[in-house]
Formats: sequence, C-alpha cells, structure tokens
Amino acid sequence: MIEISSLSKSYGRHLAVDKISFEVTRGDIVGFLGPNGAGKTTTLRMLTGFLPPTSGAARIAGKDIFRESLEVRRRIGYMPENVPLYVDMRVKEYLRFRGALKGLSGSRLRKRTAEVMETCGLTDVRRKMIKTLSKGYRQRVGLADALIHEPDLLILDEPTNGLDPNQIRAIRKLIQNLGDKHTILLSTHILSEVEMTCNKVVIIDGGKVKAADTPSNLVSSMRQAGRVTVELQTPKNEVEPIISSFDEVTRVVGETLQDGWNRFTVFAAPKTDTRLKIGNLAAEKKWPLRALSRRVGTLEEVFVELTRKD
Amino acid sequence: MRIFRILFFKELKAYFFSPFGWLILAFAALMQGFVLTEALEAFSDQAQRENLVFVTFSSPLFWFYFFVLFPVLTMRLFSEESRSGTLEGLLTAPVQTWQVVLSKFSASYLTFLILWIPAFFHFYLFTILTDVPPPFSKGEVGGAMIAIALMGLLFTACGCLASALTSSQIIAGLVCLGLLLVHFFLGAVTNIFGDTIPAAPLFEFVSSQNHLRDLTRGLVDTRPIAYYLSTTAFFLFLTYHLLDFRRWKP
Repeated sequence: MIEISSLSKSYGRHLAVDKISFEVTRGDIVGFLGPNGAGKTTTLRMLTGFLPPTSGAARIAGKDIFRESLEVRRRIGYMPENVPLYVDMRVKEYLRFRGALKGLSGSRLRKRTAEVMETCGLTDVRRKMIKTLSKGYRQRVGLADALIHEPDLLILDEPTNGLDPNQIRAIRKLIQNLGDKHTILLSTHILSEVEMTCNKVVIIDGGKVKAADTPSNLVSSMRQAGRVTVELQTPKNEVEPIISSFDEVTRVVGETLQDGWNRFTVFAAPKTDTRLKIGNLAAEKKWPLRALSRRVGTLEEVFVELTRKD
Repeated sequence: MRIFRILFFKELKAYFFSPFGWLILAFAALMQGFVLTEALEAFSDQAQRENLVFVTFSSPLFWFYFFVLFPVLTMRLFSEESRSGTLEGLLTAPVQTWQVVLSKFSASYLTFLILWIPAFFHFYLFTILTDVPPPFSKGEVGGAMIAIALMGLLFTACGCLASALTSSQIIAGLVCLGLLLVHFFLGAVTNIFGDTIPAAPLFEFVSSQNHLRDLTRGLVDTRPIAYYLSTTAFFLFLTYHLLDFRRWKP
C-alpha cells in the first residue's frame, strides 16, 4: 500500500527526515512512533503531498506521491495534527463541503455524510458550529472528514492527542473497527495505544528508522528481553561462574537480599530462554531455589531503548 | 470546474453568511453616498464643465475608500487558512492549486462588484427622483462601470498575492494597501514632475487616475483593458506559484 524508499526532507540545514524506508501492506494498522521532533509529521506531510521530499521517493497504491499527487490524494484520508477545521461552519455543512471536494455528490454524498456522522458519533451535534465543539468532538469531525470518501489509506497524525481517557478509548475502538476495511498509518506517542491497536510498528528518531516490525517481535528482540532473574540460597561465588559459562549468557550479577538469599540477574541474548537450563542446574546441584522469572518487555521499554539519547 | 464551483460558493458564503460582507457593503454604500452628495453639492454651487459621473469619481474621497475596500476584502483569503492550518486540509484534498487561487479570487471579486450596486443605483435614482435632465449620459455610467470592474480585477489580484505572502491578516492587509498606494503614486508621477520627463508616457500608461478619467468621460480605450487583464493574470500567476512553491521547493 505504501512503499517508501530513502525519503529525505531537510529544512535549510536541518535534516528532518533522513533517508527513511519502510513498507506498509494493505490491511495493516501501522503505528508510527518517535519522540517529539523525530520527523513523524514531516513524513506524513510528504506522503499526503503537502510537503515535497528533498530526495527519495514514495508510492501509495502504486502511485508516485509527487508526480501523481492528485491520484494519491484521492486515495488518502488525512487527519492533520491538531485537526484544523473551518470553525465557522456547522458539522454537517463542513462534512458535506469536504465530501464534495473529495468527489462525492448527490445521494452518495448524503449517504456518506450520514454514515460517517453515525460512525464517529456526530449525529447529535450535526447542526452545531464547529467553534462551539469540544476538542474531542473536533477530533471526531476530523476523523469523519478523513473517512468520508472511503479512502484505501487513512493517515492520522496523533489522533488521540489531547483527549481524555474515555475519548481516547472511544477513538481507539473506532480505529480498531476501521482496520477491517482500511489500511491505517497513525502517528502517536501513546505506546499502550499502539500495543492495543497496531499490528506493525515503525519507530523513528532523529529522522531515521530505528525499527520496523510487529510489536511482539520488537518486544522479544529488545536487549533486555533475554534477561532472567533467579533467587538462590547458594553463595554467589559458587553460582556465578557456572551460569556465566552458558553460551547465550553474557554476564551474571548477583546481590545479597536482606533475608540472606541471593538474587542473580542473568543477562542473556534476546530471544533466548535460559530458565529451563538454570532450573535443571539448580535441581542437579541441589541449590535451594525460590524464584525464577524471565523478563517480559513492553513496547515502552523498546521505545526508550531505541530513542534514548544517553 | 466542479471543484472550482464548490470552493467558490464556500468563499462567497464566508462573505455573505457572516456580518463581515454586510459591514463592508454598508461602509461602501455610505461612502458612495457621501461622494455623490459632495459631487451634487459642487453642481449646485456652480456650473461644472464635466459630467456628474466624472465629478463623482474624481473626488479624493473616492480613492480613499476605494483603496480601503481591497485589503479588507482580500486579507483573509489565504493568510487565515495558513494561520489556522486549514490550508493543509485544503491542499491535501484532491484539489489543484489553481482551483483554490481562482475560486478565492473570483469570490472576492464578485463581492467587490456587488459593493458597487448601490453606487450605480444612485445614478439611476437620480433620473427617476429628479425632473432635471441627468447631467450625464449612459455611456459615461457604462464607462465608469468598466473602469471600476477593471481596477477591481488588478487590485483584488494584488490582495490575493499579499494574503498568500504571510499568515498574518494585518500584514497581508498592509502589504495590499502598500501595493495599491505605490500603483496610485506611480500614476501621479507626471502630476508632480510634469509630463516632459523621459518616462512620462510609461507613468501615464499605468495611471489608474487617467484610466478612470477617460472612461468616466465615456472614452473606452483598449489599452487600459489589456493592461488590467494582463497584470491581473500576472499577479494571480505569482499567487499560484507562492502557494505551489511549498510543493516543489527543495
């Protein structure tokens, strides 16, 4: 659906996006993550044809974003950051205007306007001026606008920015439902949201792609992922050399707890599980063992690991 | 064409479905009334060599309010959209930049033309309310209409350009007023330095005061028509590229 190959954008001397490449296949819900100023919005703006790339290329549904901009724009539903709307219009009037701009007319326009108002929960406020609506409702108007022409691809720039938890939940549910019919690329820095809704994650930082994979793969391949914690009563100097000799183990750090037991943190390569080996070893050597656990990472840790500056 | 129509009516609504358009209309009607009153008083004081249309449109008060209309009408067009961010939504929809430029220009130009309905209605009123023979002919009124319409084209295009330059309405309005004043004073150069200076024909050619003077005497020349049409096209071309520059700048 989207193929990006070494896309770059610089503002004067500042390189905002540095040769990023990734792909999005049809039907994916992709979370586009990165710290503030990582180049997320710039990338999305390039994809929607609002900004030209400095170099590189991207294709959406097989169409070049620069040469066939109009074709591309017909296939995209874009919700910009902070959802700019014409505040002097009424909700229904605005949606009809946007629908007409995107090529709908007559009964089809009427039908789609009613449908998106229903989907986004706007039917009750359809006669209100947009300037009187709360942030949550404006966000929904923006989403309804992005959906109205039934685009193949939805590009949402921070769709839940500034909403309260209930509204975030409602929007998230909406996005999950939309995922059945649309391909979605959404940028956010709320990681729990990505874990719940997205089946692919692209993390960028400083204009470069740091990772692009499914959330579960990212979590299992992070550096901390192979780490195992064991609590034994055996002295440290006896345990450490034996566990350190395992192939996948890089380092063992032991500490004595207040009750006299020792806790060992076993640093091992990602995607390995040394629990069974350690358990068998303890049983064989008759070491008293009371806890053995493997670290389960979160996307947040992956994010921090990939984008931390220090 | 469909997209143009949708955008055009949206812009037109922005003028007339809000107090804004009606306020300008009221201001214009009031000033047109003042200018006409002034001209009629001149006629009642002493005999005039020129016709009523000419005297009305050569008053300094006319230029004052005429120049105020354009910044007020056009300053909002692009700067407001770029300030509030709606330009991003507009230009990422499947619309072409020229459709945006032309629709905004046409809507503000049509609004400008509507502002002149009262002024020309005054001349019509004169013929039905008084029993004196009108001190002007139909041709002179027609000439004045052409002059207003032509100057409106160029000055509205100037306003569009000024508005596309900045995201501040105030600055857009001031730049537009500045452009109009520069144009006005270029036309006044020969009044100050005399018409013997080498570039005098050039200054006379661009002088709106001269065009208005000729046309309100009923003298329709094709040169000003070509001048206004071509400069309007040029200013709209610049506006188009200012907006589109965003799309291709390195």
